[in-house]
Amino acid sequence: MLSVLSVDLGTVFCMADAYTDALRELREFSGDDPSRLAEPIARSFPVSGASICTLGEILSAETVSASDPVAARLDELQLDLGEGPCWDALRSISPVFEPDIQHSPRGAWPMFLPAVAHEAIGAVFAFPLVVGHLRLGAVDLYCIEPMTLSPLQIRQASTLAAVVSRLVLRRALEAARDDEPMHPPVDRFSRRAIHQATGMVIAQLGVSVDDAEMLLRGHAYAENRSMAEVAADILDGRLRFSIEAEGIEDVQ
Amino acid sequence: MRGELREARLVEGFATLADTLVEGYDVVDLLQNLVEICQDVLSVEAVGLLLADEGGELDLVASTSEDPRLVNAMQLDAEAGPCRLSFETGEQEALVGLSALDDAPAGWFAFRRAAEQLGYGSVAAVPMRLREKRIGVLSLYRFEAEALSAADLRAAQALADVATIGILHERVAREPDAVRNQLQRALNTRVVIEQAKGVLAHTHGVSTERAFELLRGYARSNRLGLHEVAQRLVGRTLIF
Repeated sequence: MLSVLSVDLGTVFCMADAYTDALRELREFSGDDPSRLAEPIARSFPVSGASICTLGEILSAETVSASDPVAARLDELQLDLGEGPCWDALRSISPVFEPDIQHSPRGAWPMFLPAVAHEAIGAVFAFPLVVGHLRLGAVDLYCIEPMTLSPLQIRQASTLAAVVSRLVLRRALEAARDDEPMHPPVDRFSRRAIHQATGMVIAQLGVSVDDAEMLLRGHAYAENRSMAEVAADILDGRLRFSIEAEGIEDVQ
Repeated sequence: MRGELREARLVEGFATLADTLVEGYDVVDLLQNLVEICQDVLSVEAVGLLLADEGGELDLVASTSEDPRLVNAMQLDAEAGPCRLSFETGEQEALVGLSALDDAPAGWFAFRRAAEQLGYGSVAAVPMRLREKRIGVLSLYRFEAEALSAADLRAAQALADVATIGILHERVAREPDAVRNQLQRALNTRVVIEQAKGVLAHTHGVSTERAFELLRGYARSNRLGLHEVAQRLVGRTLIF
């Protein structure tokens, strides 16, 4: 009973432009207020709305941005109930697709499904927000009608989610740095160790210097330890980042 | 070392330094050569070179060994030890007999203990300066608890002077910013070298100390600067 939305070519090209714009907008975002970030994501796909939320063990569960009240409600339900596509997406580090959530749901959510039955929501797609092995949240897309996403749209949404992931982590780390000088300033010797550990992470994951540094800092933040301590663990081989399937796991 | 042989190696050392000072040379390569020449020519077991950043803090930029314990000792020396003192006075300073209850300042204790634990018996610090402009310190470590000979100290100062003049030459008066930028770049290069050591330590399954030797060896045999090789390793455009 899947009703496929027919879209003419003009709409498709428009979407492609909207996606490029969204990618640029998210990459260049440097403002203080992230509450409008879901809008360019929503415009990139033939969906009704989008939302960005943080959840999991590292960041507190909250909606960062929602393009409309229904998107906000979808997030709120999942965050309040502690279950739903965004939780599963984060847990599995892979997208979760519900093309017809009202009539043929794929997931088993005893509380979320009855709750979503009261909403004007036909399809839900959740993309995890992860940086390396750090699980941060999810981007949800919804459509009032049942619909499917094409493989290209899935790739595009995953790319946008990857950009949002870095943005969310960077903001969290900046906020943490501003809030409290958690750890004493790093001495020169430890700083060398941190640079060496950054190099190890670059080689372990094949990521850029910036990402490797962010992963180190994010790991330290998630475990409430200093970067120097995490660096020492990496150099000693007690902590190793490795790529496992799509996600990145740390091997302790 | 026999007199003539030493003279010959010293001359070779100066020639190597002069060769490094070509247009567009990298300060880190120059300084790495300097510490290696010193180790080769002088009766010392380890040599470090520390440059001052804009705040006057000394940071290790080149060393004959990347053993983290030695690096730590040198860094402690830069905070409170003969090395720090030499930078402040602009004169050669030395500490002979690290374990003896001498009249060394109490603040040097951390450095003395760290160096002593590694088996060192004496340290000499040679300033890198041209007239009133001080840019860093060359520190020389010996296992023997005996002062470096006057001839060795003169040679060390002469080598340090060549490198200092190479860095400063006549630009001090004309472009003070150029010198500052160059020194800052050398300090930044060190960051990339540390990252590259991490990359190699992982890909080769070796210590960071050994990783530096690999980096140095690759740069030398391919006639490339340390910075360039390190940058490419970190950017994953070079894999060896």
